[in-house]
Amino acid sequence: MVSDRPAPAIDQHRIKQLLAQKKQLKLFLSICAKCGLCAESCFYYRNHRDPKATPAYKAVHSLGRLFKKRGKVNRHELEQMKSLVFDKCALCRRCYCPFGIDVSSMIALARAICRSQGVYQRFDDK
Amino acid sequence: MIVAQIKPLPEIAEGLEPHGKTLIVGCGGCTSICLAGGQPEVDQLCLELEQLFKEKGLNKTFEGYVVERGCDPDFIQELDILAAEFEAFLCVGCGAGAQLIAEQFPEKPVYPGVNTQFLGVNREVGWYEEKCRSCGDCQLAYTGCICPVTRCAKSIFNGPCGGTQREGRCELDAETPCAWVDIFNRLKTQQRVENIERIRQPTAWQNQKQGQLVHEAYRDRYTKKD
Repeated sequence: MVSDRPAPAIDQHRIKQLLAQKKQLKLFLSICAKCGLCAESCFYYRNHRDPKATPAYKAVHSLGRLFKKRGKVNRHELEQMKSLVFDKCALCRRCYCPFGIDVSSMIALARAICRSQGVYQRFDDK
Repeated sequence: MIVAQIKPLPEIAEGLEPHGKTLIVGCGGCTSICLAGGQPEVDQLCLELEQLFKEKGLNKTFEGYVVERGCDPDFIQELDILAAEFEAFLCVGCGAGAQLIAEQFPEKPVYPGVNTQFLGVNREVGWYEEKCRSCGDCQLAYTGCICPVTRCAKSIFNGPCGGTQREGRCELDAETPCAWVDIFNRLKTQQRVENIERIRQPTAWQNQKQGQLVHEAYRDRYTKKD
């Protein structure tokens, strides 16, 4: 049985550590030309036609924001990211980029950072 | 999805006792959904194991990390950065995930923290039911999409057997419906009974009963009360 402990304060040091471990992903963010070609390869976008579901949007507004703010984010921002990286992405790894950007790796790191701060999908009914 | 159940804590602790710092690896896929190996379970296991060893007078450290999918080598690679500081791994992903981690780190012992149970469906939160035995010879097309391998106690391809009881129950358990009666009724509704009139080659399945798992936390909810 899981406990009902209150959420701890954001550990920005841990976020910085995780970002540093995968700092090569920062390069992907600078390469992205915002061409939107990745959109049609995303089944979630194709089903919902929600511009916020395009792979580029999801990566830029999750991991991109984390890099830009050097990990200095609050819980509210992480909760906003949660809906992008958990609810709007299945990590099917089918997103296509003509520059070879690995979008799913970026989403996976954003998820790992969210998880490290206690922000994740719950599958029980709490 | 794959359904798993956390092993009893003493069994986990017995394996880990000889080791120092241990990394508990969760999975963001199936075992998260069945409440066995996601982030909350990993966090809880860290606390419980530390406490259990403390009571034995042993000071052991546990840390947790959840990979996106334990059955995908691309995601397992995330552990490369962490592995050096740990003596052993405890995997609360399915058996496939544990074996993949062991392949990735052959020099470190990997222990399973869950019992992988079956391929099943979510009936309700915390209530899972077996639907497929991954037999590799799917007969659903001819059986009205009811699996005789999983549902029938004898896993027979040409049923029902002589043990079918009144009201279409299995001879093993009066609560269990006979799979072949259900197959017949469904095919009759669809006017496809001829599907099961042709004899199919029998397979050498061991007698097995359909598996079902209700998560401990939800047992009260789904247990019949008089």
